[in-house]
Amino acid sequence: MTIAPSATGVASAQARSRRVRRWLASHWNLNLLLGAISIGTLFLLWEFARPLGIPAISNLPPPTEVIQTSASLLTSQLYWEGWALSLRRITSGFLLAQIVGIPLGLMMAMHRASFDTIFPIVEILRPIPPVAWIPVSIVFWPTRELSVIFIVFLGAFWIVLLNTIGGASNIDPNYKRAALSLGSTPGDLFWRIIFPATVPSIVTGMAVGMGIAWEMVVAAEMVAGRTGLGYLLWQSFEINAIAQCIVCMISIGIAGYLSSEIIRLFGSFVAPWQRQR
Amino acid sequence: MAVEAARGGALSIRHAGKVYDPDGANVVAIDDVSFDTRPGEFCVVVGPSGCGKTTLLNTIAGFDELTVGEIFLDDELLTTPGKRLMPGADRMVVFQNGALFPWKTVLWNVTCGPIQQGKMNRGEAQVQARELLSRVGLRGIENQYPGELSGGMKRRVEIVRALMNDPKVLLLDEPFRALDALTKSVVQEYLLELYDASPKTVFFITHDVEEAVFLADKIVIMTTRPGRVLKIVDVDIDRPRDYHVLTSGHFLKLENDVRAAIHGEARKAFEAGERELA
Repeated sequence: MTIAPSATGVASAQARSRRVRRWLASHWNLNLLLGAISIGTLFLLWEFARPLGIPAISNLPPPTEVIQTSASLLTSQLYWEGWALSLRRITSGFLLAQIVGIPLGLMMAMHRASFDTIFPIVEILRPIPPVAWIPVSIVFWPTRELSVIFIVFLGAFWIVLLNTIGGASNIDPNYKRAALSLGSTPGDLFWRIIFPATVPSIVTGMAVGMGIAWEMVVAAEMVAGRTGLGYLLWQSFEINAIAQCIVCMISIGIAGYLSSEIIRLFGSFVAPWQRQR
Repeated sequence: MAVEAARGGALSIRHAGKVYDPDGANVVAIDDVSFDTRPGEFCVVVGPSGCGKTTLLNTIAGFDELTVGEIFLDDELLTTPGKRLMPGADRMVVFQNGALFPWKTVLWNVTCGPIQQGKMNRGEAQVQARELLSRVGLRGIENQYPGELSGGMKRRVEIVRALMNDPKVLLLDEPFRALDALTKSVVQEYLLELYDASPKTVFFITHDVEEAVFLADKIVIMTTRPGRVLKIVDVDIDRPRDYHVLTSGHFLKLENDVRAAIHGEARKAFEAGERELA
């Protein structure tokens, strides 16, 4: 298509550029393209770091080697056992944190006295990073398994507790007033108002807590575990199998991503009114 | 209109006073407020910010109690010092910032009152809800969540939710404050339509003088803090009203009267605010 210079030249040039932009928007996703280019470049640099003499990255095995290693690792029983055990620890610790944290948070938000009693303890213990609990936890709990689960629990617990307290104490009092006017009994208020109004904060706490839970399970398995993905990662390092380390790292990344997707799905299931936000 | 009046809704406010006592500094919110509304009367309360309009509404609704005086609804004592009737479906409130439950659909929000109180079964409530919603131009939004609606739609849904309970008095606290001028006039007309179809006593709070004259049978003008009744203006404009009355000479005269009365108070309130800040 050619455009003759004319009085309408500017207008038609604008129209053309609009058309081009629209075409790009529907046929090419520019963001996607840029993303693909940057990831591709990263892999090429990594692959050819040794021949190119790039420092630091040359110390790592190239991606082709990692892929070869992953093929053998992915067929080993050890690897899948690691997945299963880490997932089991995550699930137990995380669910335990919800089972204790959500009711405790709701109670603290609703009863001043229980808040005043429990909150000082929370504020003393909370600043201690869960990882710092590992030695004491090994001494305290009868098995290593329990101490790992306890560390995961701590990772998810504080955040869900604080989010529940925050959510339940920031409910617009007019919701309660409206509910009373509409004939709710004071007993209905909990299930009809306080609990649903707190659900979005709880889900946010879960999403953050799940991320911390994965950090904790890896750290705890490295130090205290005898199995699991975190343990496998550390063992691979000990035997200088760096390619295997990288496969473990990627696996943990995938596991973390899948877990947060599950939380997201759970969130849109229990708080469907938030979906369009 | 007068036929329906037999169902009650006479609000009688007698020497009502409320003193808040934060940190011992007595703040008198309202002082010796007395006025009555006839059953089915549309009563609008105007006054500068902080004149105790919302305090008065809260005591009628049962959210708060008076420290002096008493309020009756059809000879039933609503509040007097140390005593109040708990919130109930006979005094429904439409809140300033809205209080539709965001976690429930429009249909659930609108039907929950009569179902909870055992006045209707689910089916009956849903039929009436659909009927009322379509009367305010909201057909087909029953299964949406309040978060998906515009401001004007939410206000209409909230008014419908209140009316579903067939209250003796409908309490509205600056319900259209956050709406743009065009949306506001549309929602006002819908409110008048609902009111004309079944007149209930309305206790409506606003800052907006034009809105007050457009909606009211009676305008209660309040002074700045402490809130007292400055003047009561009867609005003798025929119903049903639509936006055409806004430009009639009589309307403008009434609007002017109210504006003149309230202006001095607004000025005092503003200067008091400046002093507090200084």
